[in-house]
Amino acid sequence: MIKKNVICSFCGCLCDDLSITIEDGKITGVDNGCALANAKFLGKERLLKPVIREGDSIKETEYNTAIEKAADILKDAERPLFFGWSGTQGEAQAKGVHLCMLLGGVIDNTSSLCHGPSILAIQEVGHPGCTLGQVKNRADLIIYWGCNPLEGHPRHMSRYTTYADGFFLKNAFRERKLIVVDVRKTMSSDVADEFIQIEPGGDYAVLSALRAIVRGEEKIIPESVSGVSKSQLKRVADMCKEARFGALFFGLGLTMSKNKYKNIRNAVELTDELSRHTKFTISAMRGHWNVYGANEVFTWMTGYPYAIDFARGIPFYNPGETTAAEILYRKECDALMVVSSDPAAHMPKKCVEHMADIPVIQIDPHKNCTSFFTDVQIPVAITGIEASGTAYRMDGVPLRTKKIIDADFLTDTEVISRIYERILEAKADV
Amino acid sequence: MKIELSIKPREKPFIPIEAESITPASFLEKMTEDITVWSGNREKKLTEIFDVKKSGNADSQKDVEIILNGDCSAVKRVGEYMKDGKISIMGNIGMHCGNFMSGGLIEINGDSDSWLGREMTGGEIICKGNTGDYCGSGYRGEKTGIKGGKITIMKDAGDYLGESMAGGEIIVNGSSGNMPGSEMQKGTITIYKDAVLPCPNMRGGICYVLGEAKEILPTFKQTGSIYNSDHKRELNIYEGDYANRSHKGKLFAGKTNKK
Ligand code: SF4
Repeated sequence: MIKKNVICSFCGCLCDDLSITIEDGKITGVDNGCALANAKFLGKERLLKPVIREGDSIKETEYNTAIEKAADILKDAERPLFFGWSGTQGEAQAKGVHLCMLLGGVIDNTSSLCHGPSILAIQEVGHPGCTLGQVKNRADLIIYWGCNPLEGHPRHMSRYTTYADGFFLKNAFRERKLIVVDVRKTMSSDVADEFIQIEPGGDYAVLSALRAIVRGEEKIIPESVSGVSKSQLKRVADMCKEARFGALFFGLGLTMSKNKYKNIRNAVELTDELSRHTKFTISAMRGHWNVYGANEVFTWMTGYPYAIDFARGIPFYNPGETTAAEILYRKECDALMVVSSDPAAHMPKKCVEHMADIPVIQIDPHKNCTSFFTDVQIPVAITGIEASGTAYRMDGVPLRTKKIIDADFLTDTEVISRIYERILEAKADV
Repeated sequence: MKIELSIKPREKPFIPIEAESITPASFLEKMTEDITVWSGNREKKLTEIFDVKKSGNADSQKDVEIILNGDCSAVKRVGEYMKDGKISIMGNIGMHCGNFMSGGLIEINGDSDSWLGREMTGGEIICKGNTGDYCGSGYRGEKTGIKGGKITIMKDAGDYLGESMAGGEIIVNGSSGNMPGSEMQKGTITIYKDAVLPCPNMRGGICYVLGEAKEILPTFKQTGSIYNSDHKRELNIYEGDYANRSHKGKLFAGKTNKK
């Protein structure tokens, strides 16, 4: 059997045109997907049963026992931390917020390690963005800044930018210009019309210089800015001003390098400046397939997109203080629940050390580095393959991923709901 | 009135204490037993967390002095909305000390954590140690940082010192980290030693970097130099930030290293 128009729940592109071949209830083929999609759909490794730690050993157990243990850990915590959420369905994210509210904990999603700075910048100066459909059909100038889409989001260029057909462009491939900005050559920079190579940490200065040039203040700009010649900057500023519709995409090369959110703020302000000359938009290249969803769900429920502290019953938001890495680093939390993420692989050593000192609950179909620290791990159905669920594409468009094969696992939503119920019962007993 | 608070040993010493109730106003208006603080998700009596010694009387906040003993680096929001009186902190203090303060004096003998004097409008903070990031800045997404008052740091400051500053004065006797005075609109920052990328996107205000200013942005225009007799130094004068429409900020910097 072949299922068509399946959504790929791997990266923020959420490509919705995959064809999946299923034989005897197993996936045997993937068409249209990139290599990353193939790996996701054809992956075999997974955790089959819930496990709990007893002393030095890990023991397989049933869902009920594992859920009971998770509830036990959480119910008495003074400052539980709930982290992850970018790899699960919107429904589970909503349940997670409820659980955090009930317990007066802190809930954070993986944005704090990737595009959190973009959100801080947007909160300062706004987000002149648009959907990927607009870019595909209208943009005649694409800029990728600090990202390498051909490897990170392999089908971004073919579905939405350089290689896609555009309704308002006669010959999209020839009409669209491509500028790539990075600190090193990449596969993406090789296909660019203009490659701007910046010295590491120099993005902010280059963005400032471009803003000044676009405003007509080029006199004060020196001959070279962070390794980029003034003549190239002028040429790029002209390309931007002459475009009919420009779209700037930025990645972790801009959000996680020196000056972090100030880089993004500067890029947004450059976009603003360019919009005085033509139509210009800016968007983040969100990584995980539903990390944008985590921001959306958290925002509609609490008012804030990540790093929300419910200790006082009302939401308080302050990245740098209420973000997961900082809380772990300062040893502030006394229990941790990780949902579909691997903080042990991505956070500084000191954070991981604290994970070893406190009880950790993990809800994830797969074993990963964090599993070494967990007291309970509960496997769940993989959303988009074994369960349906809502996800938000990197441009904020919600899509419904489908269940394409059957499996005997609970969903993230069901597991979190059952932990929630169990804690409610325990609180009522007291 | 003198109130001496000594932090007691705790089972989980790293769980933050939110103590916006530690202000002269609280002690003047409330009975000590009625004052509470938050430890994680639990509201606790102040006396559960601190040994409290109270002596003397006071008619107004001005006559109240609070002394904090012990390591209070996990105690946040001390002196929030403080209007008058004095808080002396003998050791380190946690984040958000002196948030929104409008008067009075906070003296810190140790180090202070991030967001010291966030959005303050008046009064004075003196920190004898180092301070963290966002000293004298605003809240996330806030258009203005401090609008008045004075913050003095005797050692170094972290990143984003005086972000979006809109008045008042900040003095750092050591160095500052990355991007002091970003988005600055008004007020004065003086850094006696070095700073990195000073005043990005500033629209107004004055910043002195008396040591070395590393990576001055290409969008700052050098308009001359001046011998500053107060600091006995030759300083270059810059105007900026020309990335902005409004660029009336002034940056006085020791050595130049325009990138
Ligand atoms: S680009 Fe991303 S969403 Fe599209 S198929 Fe590849 S991994 Fe899946």
